[in-house]
Amino acid sequence: MDGIDIVGPQVAVLGGAGLILLVDALFPQQRKLLPYIALVALAASALWTTSWVSRDEYGAAFDGTLMLDKYAVFFYYLFAGITATVVLASIDWVDREGRGQGEYYALVLTTCSGLMFLSASRDLITIFVSLELSSIPQYILAGWGKDQRSSEAGLKYLLLGAVASSLLLYGMALLYGFSGSTLLPEIATAIRDGGEANRSLLILASVLLIAGFGFKMAIVPFQMWVPDVYQGAPTPVAAFLSVGSKAAAFAVITRVFMEGLAPKFLSDDWSMIFAVIAAVSMTVGNVMAIVQTDIKRMLGYSSVAQAGTFLIGLAAISAGGADEFTLGASGVLLFLAAYAFTNLGAFIAIIAISQKLGSDQIKDYAGMWRRSPLLTLALGICLVSLTGIPPTVGFWGKMYIFNAGIHADLAWLVVIGVLNSVVSGYYYLSVARQMFLGDPESEEPVGASPALMLALTAATAGVLVFGVIPMPLIDAARDAVATLAIG
Amino acid sequence: MPFLLAETVTAAPDVEEWMLWAILLSPLIAWGLIVLYFRKLPAIAGYLAIAGVGAACVMSFVAFFATVDADGAILQHTHEWFTAGPLTVNLGVRLDGLTAVMLVVVTTVSLLVQVYSNGYMAGDPGYGRYFAHMCLFTTSMLGLVLADNLFMLFIFWELVGLSSYLLIGFWFHKPSAAAAAKKAFIVTRIGDLGLLAALLLVWTRADTFDIAAIQEWAASGSPEGYIVTLFALGIFAGAAGKSAQFPLHVWLPDAMEGPTPVSALIHAATMVAAGVYLVARFFPVFEASHDAAQTVAWIGAITAIVAATIALVQTDFKRVLAYSTVSQLGYMMLALGAFGYVAAIFHLFTHAFFKALLFLGSGSVNHSTNTFDMRKMGGLRKHMPITFWTFVIGSLSLSGIFPLAGFWSKDEILLDAWRENRGLWVCAFVVAFLTAFYMFRAIFLTFFGTYKGGEPVDHHDEDSHFHGDPAHPHESPWVMTAPLLILAVPAIAAGWLNISGGPIDSWFADLLNGALPHVHEHGSAFEWGIALSSSAVALAGIGLAWVIYYKRWVTSKSIRDVALPVSVVFENKYFLDRLYEDFFVRTVLQRGWNRLLELNDKYVVDGAVNGAGTSARWVSGQLRAIQNGQMQTYGIGIAAGVVIVVVAVFAANPL
Repeated sequence: MDGIDIVGPQVAVLGGAGLILLVDALFPQQRKLLPYIALVALAASALWTTSWVSRDEYGAAFDGTLMLDKYAVFFYYLFAGITATVVLASIDWVDREGRGQGEYYALVLTTCSGLMFLSASRDLITIFVSLELSSIPQYILAGWGKDQRSSEAGLKYLLLGAVASSLLLYGMALLYGFSGSTLLPEIATAIRDGGEANRSLLILASVLLIAGFGFKMAIVPFQMWVPDVYQGAPTPVAAFLSVGSKAAAFAVITRVFMEGLAPKFLSDDWSMIFAVIAAVSMTVGNVMAIVQTDIKRMLGYSSVAQAGTFLIGLAAISAGGADEFTLGASGVLLFLAAYAFTNLGAFIAIIAISQKLGSDQIKDYAGMWRRSPLLTLALGICLVSLTGIPPTVGFWGKMYIFNAGIHADLAWLVVIGVLNSVVSGYYYLSVARQMFLGDPESEEPVGASPALMLALTAATAGVLVFGVIPMPLIDAARDAVATLAIG
Repeated sequence: MPFLLAETVTAAPDVEEWMLWAILLSPLIAWGLIVLYFRKLPAIAGYLAIAGVGAACVMSFVAFFATVDADGAILQHTHEWFTAGPLTVNLGVRLDGLTAVMLVVVTTVSLLVQVYSNGYMAGDPGYGRYFAHMCLFTTSMLGLVLADNLFMLFIFWELVGLSSYLLIGFWFHKPSAAAAAKKAFIVTRIGDLGLLAALLLVWTRADTFDIAAIQEWAASGSPEGYIVTLFALGIFAGAAGKSAQFPLHVWLPDAMEGPTPVSALIHAATMVAAGVYLVARFFPVFEASHDAAQTVAWIGAITAIVAATIALVQTDFKRVLAYSTVSQLGYMMLALGAFGYVAAIFHLFTHAFFKALLFLGSGSVNHSTNTFDMRKMGGLRKHMPITFWTFVIGSLSLSGIFPLAGFWSKDEILLDAWRENRGLWVCAFVVAFLTAFYMFRAIFLTFFGTYKGGEPVDHHDEDSHFHGDPAHPHESPWVMTAPLLILAVPAIAAGWLNISGGPIDSWFADLLNGALPHVHEHGSAFEWGIALSSSAVALAGIGLAWVIYYKRWVTSKSIRDVALPVSVVFENKYFLDRLYEDFFVRTVLQRGWNRLLELNDKYVVDGAVNGAGTSARWVSGQLRAIQNGQMQTYGIGIAAGVVIVVVAVFAANPL
């Protein structure tokens, strides 16, 4: 693998972004085509990734700063899929908004390329640059809406994101200062050789890294922006933030801690940090979600709680031998994919419904079953999956992560997780109850455009199909994690 | 001799795997079709449900006879569904003596109830929905008894809870029904937490969910004793919720707000039996932990006595049956705790038939009088002869009168209790007396004396689908009386299946024992002393009811006055509902919750309001507002978070 082949998937995506800008500038009357160019670019990107897989070509590139392994490939597919779904879900909204259509899709694609780079980076500088490449377009996208709430969301996200980035950079600087290298394998070697004497410095660096990535992962106490930004940002962008940047942050933090900071004297500490943050995030997210009346805010808090569940997988990584390591990390990947299907489905249904209602209030969802059976059914399935009830993919995600926790002797954390699932059932299912049993204010049907329906069907089908036949997804996650080099 | 055969001959029942799955799927397919296409077509929905359950019933009998031929040996088909490291979750079915008996009970009663419902629910606006729920419920029950691992069992267990919630709250516009559904759901959920804990425990300790493997694990002696006890108690907690054991029994009487056929199906024959089934399924675990078995036995005994005494003073026909069910379930648990595995399931088997008969009989009475209040009935013997005679048969069977079904199964329980612990036997003996008394009290009040006119039809009530004239009671239509007549047959004869030395010997016991890894021989299953004393006490109960409620030599009022404090306790159901509702729910939960909400208002909502204020200022274009408003708080939050985490790490693990 050499030359352009190394960055082929990203080149396809970025090429699509450039083409979109050109078409937008040169043929303004052809604007309808823009989202389809984006979809084609994403398909080309996925094809390119597939060609690697079929050639069975994996390996390091660019002096080891990029690691093109099955782990990266798993995320390339995931991000291409997420971005395509977000593009489909955006079409109506962007049409209605009217302005800057080319820029919107170009920014979405640019974000996607940044997310892909993140999942393959094995070098602190590359990680930082990729993170900024994915973040800066998202700051703009969050403030894309015409209303003030959206602008406020964009600005808040930008300023707090800058704080988080600076913390991250500080942590990276400490690591570099200690090891004299920015490459994860070399950092790992340096820590193995002389890390024990410098434990306090390494812990401080770990905490700063957790804070920096934790902002994107939306874990307590770095989650405060979440409800405001989810509520204020355009709904398709909120969907993108909730699954895309969260997944990328988990992808990169798993790789950094696994490949760079794995020695036992250190991993015992960060594993405990993850475990405690997991417990707090799940509890805070769920308790806060209960009292929300705005469905986007509710999903914001719920995404904090879900991030806490992901962290159980991270906490389970360090606990023991290779077996637990793969179990915890592959649990994170499986749950990320499950969560992507589920949350995208939920957000798309909400986009369709709120376009019609002009409201995000949960009480306005009453009796939606009679106004739009298909949308309601799809949203209901996604809510069941978010709760973690079989036969949905969300169930297996939770089950797998809990299993990893149990085998890592974190039974106390799993018990907290199970109790939190019960609590989360309360607010997820009370939305479902409103929709199925409540009395609608009007009988006027609520429809959705073909693009939205397509995206919704794809997401919901993923939730159900992988809910009944989970093994392919699990095998993919396990294969991906097996290629990580334990530092 | 048959015992020896069961131990040496390991040939599994000759049943194809597809058939076991088909038993599970046929009501499920009916459910899917009704939900998708026939919700609004009552004519088709009802017959579709009958067809789906009927098919399952026929196949269940085929499976049952095959299992009988194999002496109850175990047939298991397992497919891997999900693996995560050392844990494997399977999708599998298991057929053995216990499963076969449960299959027959569930599908037979379900089929008859569906036929009966065709008449009882006719004209109800939710007719299609009703049959959909019934099919879902039957599927869940069948999945519960067919599952070969605890994990699948738990999923179906929860589905049973969900579908019964839907059925109890079927008339959800009736506040009492909605409240009853919620109560049933929440109370059984408390028990389910125990089952969940048990599941987590085997997950962490044994790394398997397979039922046979868990039985082996518990009996092997490798886990510490307290682990086995905890596991067994978790299982029992789940069972106590579903099977309405003290102190979680409070939901069952309220659940009578659902349609009467639902009460017959779920609250007499199937769902409440699920708990007994669960304990029986894990019987080897209870054998390995005598502490747990003792708990089961005594909770069962307490339940039996408490419920029977409450039943004495009920005026609602259906609630007498409800408390009687709770009491009989306590009997079964008592038997299980006294290691009377066969006796318990045998009683479950006979009880399913006669109790379903009694419930359907009460529905028939209601169909004619528009009430369940026994004070408004009387003299129905002449108007409803079929209902009357079948009801008497059911009551005699329940009271344990020779030679009806209940006699034989109750006798075995008394015998097992006698052998295990005399205290348990005394409890069971007292309950036998109370049972006969309250059943015949109900019969004399309802069917004898003069008719008191029933409940007039309220023509303004749109929800009422009552068509007859309560002033002139009449016998119910044949779709309702036919199931009564059919159920009367097993209510008389089901007990003859397990008479040792009888015409077909004790093959029923052999069938059930085939499901166990080890069988402990109990010796002769009949003793004249036990049989005669229990018959005598049952007859005494009937006689006392005759004296008070038929001859009226002593009035019930005078008895009440003499034993006032006791009656008050009974009438108030031992004040348990008050304790739960006034103390736990109102005082502890609601106050606590309100306090939490107050705090939330103070700190969280006000915070959000402040945030809204910030936004308003932002609208006026003052960037400064953002800098001085929440942004700073959020930024400080992040920085403080870092500091707290670092300090916490070093505090917990100093250098």
